[in-house]
Amino acid sequence: MSTSGLAQRLRAVVGDDAVVDRREALLVYECDGYTLERAAPDLVVLPRTPEEVAAVVRLLAADGIPFVPRGAGTGLAGGTLPVAAPVMVCTSRLTEIESVDVRNRRVVAQAGVVNLKVTRAVEGEGLLYAPDPSSQAACTIGGNAAENSGGPHTLKYGVTVNHVLGVELVLPSGDVVALGGAVEDRPGYDLVGVVVGSEGTLGIATRLVLRLTRAPEGHRTLLAVFDSVDDASEAVSGIIAAGIVPAALEMMDRLILQAVEAAFRAGLPVDAGAVLIVEVDGPAAGLDEHARSVADVCLRHRAREIRRARDEAERALLWKCRKRAFGAVGRLAPNYCTQDGVVPRTRVPDIVRAIAAIGERHALRIGNVFHAGDGNIHPIILFDERDAGEVRRVLAAGEEILEACVALGGSLTGEHGIGVEKIRQMPLLFSPDDLGWMVRLRSVFDPEHRANPHKVLPDAKVCVEARAPRRQAAM
Amino acid sequence: MTQAIPARVRASAPAERFAAIVGEPFATPAGSADRVDGIAPRIVVRPASVDEVRAVIRTCGDLGLALVPTGLGRHLDVGAPPERCDVLLRLDRLGGILDHQPADMTATVAAGCSIAVLREALARHGQWLAVDPPCPEATTVGGMIAANLSGPLRASQGAVRDLLLGIEIVAADGALVRGGGRVVKNVAGYDLPKLHVGALGSLGVVVSATFKLRPRPPLERAIAVDCEDLDQAALVALAVRDALDPLWLAIEVPAESEGHPAPAASSAAARAIVGVAGIAAEVEDAVMRVERVAGVRGLASHPIAGATAVREDLASFPLRPAAAVLRASTLPGSVAACSRALVDAAASEGTRVAILADVATGVLRALVPAPRAVAPLVRRLRPALVAGGGYLVVERASPVVKQLLVGDADAWGDVGGGLELMRGVKTAFDPARLLSPGRMPGGI
Repeated sequence: MSTSGLAQRLRAVVGDDAVVDRREALLVYECDGYTLERAAPDLVVLPRTPEEVAAVVRLLAADGIPFVPRGAGTGLAGGTLPVAAPVMVCTSRLTEIESVDVRNRRVVAQAGVVNLKVTRAVEGEGLLYAPDPSSQAACTIGGNAAENSGGPHTLKYGVTVNHVLGVELVLPSGDVVALGGAVEDRPGYDLVGVVVGSEGTLGIATRLVLRLTRAPEGHRTLLAVFDSVDDASEAVSGIIAAGIVPAALEMMDRLILQAVEAAFRAGLPVDAGAVLIVEVDGPAAGLDEHARSVADVCLRHRAREIRRARDEAERALLWKCRKRAFGAVGRLAPNYCTQDGVVPRTRVPDIVRAIAAIGERHALRIGNVFHAGDGNIHPIILFDERDAGEVRRVLAAGEEILEACVALGGSLTGEHGIGVEKIRQMPLLFSPDDLGWMVRLRSVFDPEHRANPHKVLPDAKVCVEARAPRRQAAM
Repeated sequence: MTQAIPARVRASAPAERFAAIVGEPFATPAGSADRVDGIAPRIVVRPASVDEVRAVIRTCGDLGLALVPTGLGRHLDVGAPPERCDVLLRLDRLGGILDHQPADMTATVAAGCSIAVLREALARHGQWLAVDPPCPEATTVGGMIAANLSGPLRASQGAVRDLLLGIEIVAADGALVRGGGRVVKNVAGYDLPKLHVGALGSLGVVVSATFKLRPRPPLERAIAVDCEDLDQAALVALAVRDALDPLWLAIEVPAESEGHPAPAASSAAARAIVGVAGIAAEVEDAVMRVERVAGVRGLASHPIAGATAVREDLASFPLRPAAAVLRASTLPGSVAACSRALVDAAASEGTRVAILADVATGVLRALVPAPRAVAPLVRRLRPALVAGGGYLVVERASPVVKQLLVGDADAWGDVGGGLELMRGVKTAFDPARLLSPGRMPGGI
């Protein structure tokens, strides 16, 4: 498994400028959006084409070298942190949109295409690519497929797996296999369905066939202002229970409102307990009525004010506040850690209360900005990484929040993935048999477990050893 | 009870061993009606609990018996004939809605619960599981998943894979394995539920499933546009797709033959039928837009009364009397060409096919009346479709027809690059080939 001489051989395949092995240059790759643990790979390879990816992986296979796939590195669960994998294979240079088929509503995009660019390429035709993670201006289609990413509008439109029809996958052996495709109902098992969301543990997706969606004819975007998070959470349950399916239903609490307002000056009510951003979209004919129904439910749940985005600029500003809230929080503390848990949507009030109690217990400031309509919470824990004690409390609080989600009947992750962050908690959700079957599936694609090893599936033997030093390093 | 099987039972004949698990009335010799694609199982076993399912499957493993799971037996004609079938595992006693949280819009349902029963319970809360498989009374939740059944709603609501949140299966070794969860958004671990959709029970026996529900739209309308030919119908359907968000969207080509004159309603050579739904303002607007799409082409459109019944009728298309149902998939823009190829090929085989195509998904079905025409049709049509990136499968056929589906006219055809992985998955999940062996593509 030695990497000596490997850089040389990789350069022969992908060129000098596509292999990074200088220590300082490697630091860029030591973490993704999850910064609590860091580890730089020995080598980073930046192939330019799907064919080069396959050639690189074949080379690694010949020497039995484990590797970590990486897109733009915006992941939030440490999915691209190298754990006993010396080589990182980045797909960020695979940036070609290979074909746009408006009539059939299909796009073939290479893995490194930035999410937003797909929609940009087709919006003139009245189409869009529905999954819209908050990081969509930076994250890649390949990374989205690995994590099965969501976004605010997945409440109505579904997550990545609902919009990926085909995946060209470089298997850990270096063999290339085309799964699914532009045409639906390929006979046999739904391998696209399991590859999407497998966090790079089954291989590296290099080309993806995406389904496009007809762009909605219009939107009505409301900002409902509440005195308390409780009232806002109950309004969320009320909207869902009333049979309304908004395109998006997002919550921001006071801490987040203050950070976002300081950053973007959008005129948000910084004294509110929480706000909901509710967007209804679809046929123009029903928009006003749906918006009215939403407003009625919010008022019944003690909304003190309902604001309506009057034009596209106001709507864009609201979404900027929401989608860039994570960044805005950077003003409040030197570091922050975003959690990702799910509860049944009616349990949003319970989990928000639980988060507040956990924050209090660990003396941590926690903000909430999340996909309330899906019950997909994103508490943001503020801290200072120079304070080792505080870092330990952040980790403990994060784990307690996820335990609370599972106890309420939810899940450890709604859209960020397990990565390294939540791997030890998988047994809370799955029995040894459940996990054993996942290992069997993995072994079909990757018998030697060389693709993104020690992710997703807990492996008691290796994981504990591999993780402990980095935890300390982070602290 | 399931763990410790007394030695006396262990030594006894299979029938007695199964009777010891499920009770004598529920382990009975198979009759001719229990055949799977003409292959007669030895025994029909009807467990009443998940534990009983586990014990039955463990016993099958002990005795080396192959089993085929079924619900109410209505869709056993989907897939390739099993290479062996010793036990027909009927899950119809595993009924009931295990958990319905109306405010969460999720429901967990036992595999043997019929779609009709589920639908009625959900409708009381103004909700639905937005999948409309054929014959909801005789279709179970497990069967819908295993055979990946859907209907016209798929055009806008997605297929089973898009609405399935979690699953519980009994694996080949009797283990109870859970995948997914009960919340609407969840990416923890591999999405095992998707692997079982359309797997015909070949990777495990589904015992319960959790679905994402949606509010049922308050109004539903259906509009038909009579067209001169199927090319025009497909163009109209695509124009409708681009002009509004239909709930469903189909083109229908009746098989008009001398012996069976087409009913008056379908006197046009082909028609586009559109379902729209929503609140009153949305539905009115959508109907107007469909009329406009038809009007600019000089075509008449007319509302059809009983939109839900119309949709249900189209959903049951694959169960109409026929020797076989062919399912072709292509791109939405190629539906007309694909339908035309089917009609022409049928004509040269001396028969006529009725076609129902979902223009939104590019999936079309053809009813072939003549048993002898099925295999030649597959041979004639499949290569061109596959060359264009599509597929042609024999979705259902009578046992007589299935016997003729061999070689390059087998039920599934070539699945291409993923086959080796699929075989690997089968071997990993069911090494002894006990579960629906041979029913999936490539002899899986």
